[in-house]
Amino acid sequence: MKLEKLSIGYEEPLISNINLTIYPGQIISIIGASGIGKTTLLRTIAGLVSPLDGSVKLNIKPRGGLGYIPQKLGLVHHASVRHNVGLGARAGTSFLEEPWTWGHRRGERTDLAIEQMGLTEKTNEPVRILSGGQQKRVATARTLAQQPQLLLADEFLSELDEDNIQIVVESVVDFIKENGSAMILVEHNTERAIQLSNRTFRLIEGELVEQFSQGGEEE
Amino acid sequence: MITRKNMFMLIGMALLLSSVMVLNNLVSGDWSALSGGRETLIEFWNEDLWPPDWTLLEARSYPVCESSIGFFCSKAYIGMVETMKMAFVATVFGFLGSILLSPLAARNLVPAFISFPVRVFMAATRSLPSLIWAVIFIAIVGLGPLAGVLAMTFYTIGYLGKLQYEEMEGMRSEPLEASRAMGLSRSEIALLVVIPETSNGLLSQLLFMFEYNVRHGTVLGLVGAGGIGYYLSYYIGLFMYQQVMTFIIVIFVVVVLLDLFSMFVRSFVNEENDVKRPTWSSIFLPPSSSTELHRKEKK
Repeated sequence: MKLEKLSIGYEEPLISNINLTIYPGQIISIIGASGIGKTTLLRTIAGLVSPLDGSVKLNIKPRGGLGYIPQKLGLVHHASVRHNVGLGARAGTSFLEEPWTWGHRRGERTDLAIEQMGLTEKTNEPVRILSGGQQKRVATARTLAQQPQLLLADEFLSELDEDNIQIVVESVVDFIKENGSAMILVEHNTERAIQLSNRTFRLIEGELVEQFSQGGEEE
Repeated sequence: MITRKNMFMLIGMALLLSSVMVLNNLVSGDWSALSGGRETLIEFWNEDLWPPDWTLLEARSYPVCESSIGFFCSKAYIGMVETMKMAFVATVFGFLGSILLSPLAARNLVPAFISFPVRVFMAATRSLPSLIWAVIFIAIVGLGPLAGVLAMTFYTIGYLGKLQYEEMEGMRSEPLEASRAMGLSRSEIALLVVIPETSNGLLSQLLFMFEYNVRHGTVLGLVGAGGIGYYLSYYIGLFMYQQVMTFIIVIFVVVVLLDLFSMFVRSFVNEENDVKRPTWSSIFLPPSSSTELHRKEKK
């Protein structure tokens, strides 16, 4: 993924002149105060908001290549855990590849992701009755079932207890390493952001400034 | 300085005042029609409406009743069942039509060049009341329930469709954004994200529409589209208001029962905290009492 001279915002630019390249296997964290454009940056990369200037070049599949976990998770509350995770599997598998095994392939991916997130007992429960932590695991399972090449996650670890954080982080990091995917993580916890990622950027006065590289050394 | 609260109060008062002024204009300032109305109503009630003619709940003299329970051969039962059959079929067909069209009319799901013509089509089907549709279909297929079903189906598509696309437009944006970013197609998003996410509202509207069609089915009978309305029309024509009162009570009871049924069905998608699938016994309880009851049952 390559961001070139990117300016983002709605009417006025929130962040300007972003130049960033992400390679497979990398995890990049973005930290900064609330309301300065972190979420807007992710939404722009996801194609949900048009850039004010510059470009976003994604070398990924148009269907299922990009995974997005919004801050509020974007789950279908009235549907079951399986249905939600199945949406990821649906996006990540192609009907045209082997039409007769499509359903089976989707089912396998869905069940595996649910198992990885420890949600097997909740498979048929509607998402709306799950706790906040369980819902975050459902959103992560949806992404794992999708197996995207680029994952955008917006503060998806906040409000999780330590046990849940460990389950989620381990699964996601393993997935990124094994599949050669990449991840951009918006995180409010600086320490966690540095631990998790290869490079950490901070948003300061409308600019994206690299603060830490792998190993946690401040630049 | 005008606060937000005061501004809402001012707007509310302005709306109320303008409504009174418009009403005054409609009656040309002549409010004399209201005087003596109470006495007329009491007289009408005592002399014409009450007591209702309960014999309409008994078996008709012809044709011979084959059921051991006479009520099942009564005019009230036969008319009401026919009306409910018409309403049921029209609601199902209307729902199928509207659920296919409403995602195409929701502005958060499709571009304006698709949503606008679909909205215009829905507005067209809604602009004619089902009574007028009934008159049109009677001219096409003749007198009877089929004309009533077709009339209610057309009206349902427009009316239910509007409720549905407004429900869809009001849904949270995050599920849509997540699924768009994933690369799901528009039809997948509509079918697998939007419809399940808005299921509570859609179900509620569907049940409301069925109840609406049952009530309107009675009106359609007045123009010869069958059902209980046929009997209502017949007795109103003969000024036999005690018989009319019986049918009104039957319709009222059916509407109340439908409302209870609607509450029960909606409870399946209305779970709160650890309350799951409330039973008939908990249906009238407020959420807090219902939660308490559910916990006791669990123990």
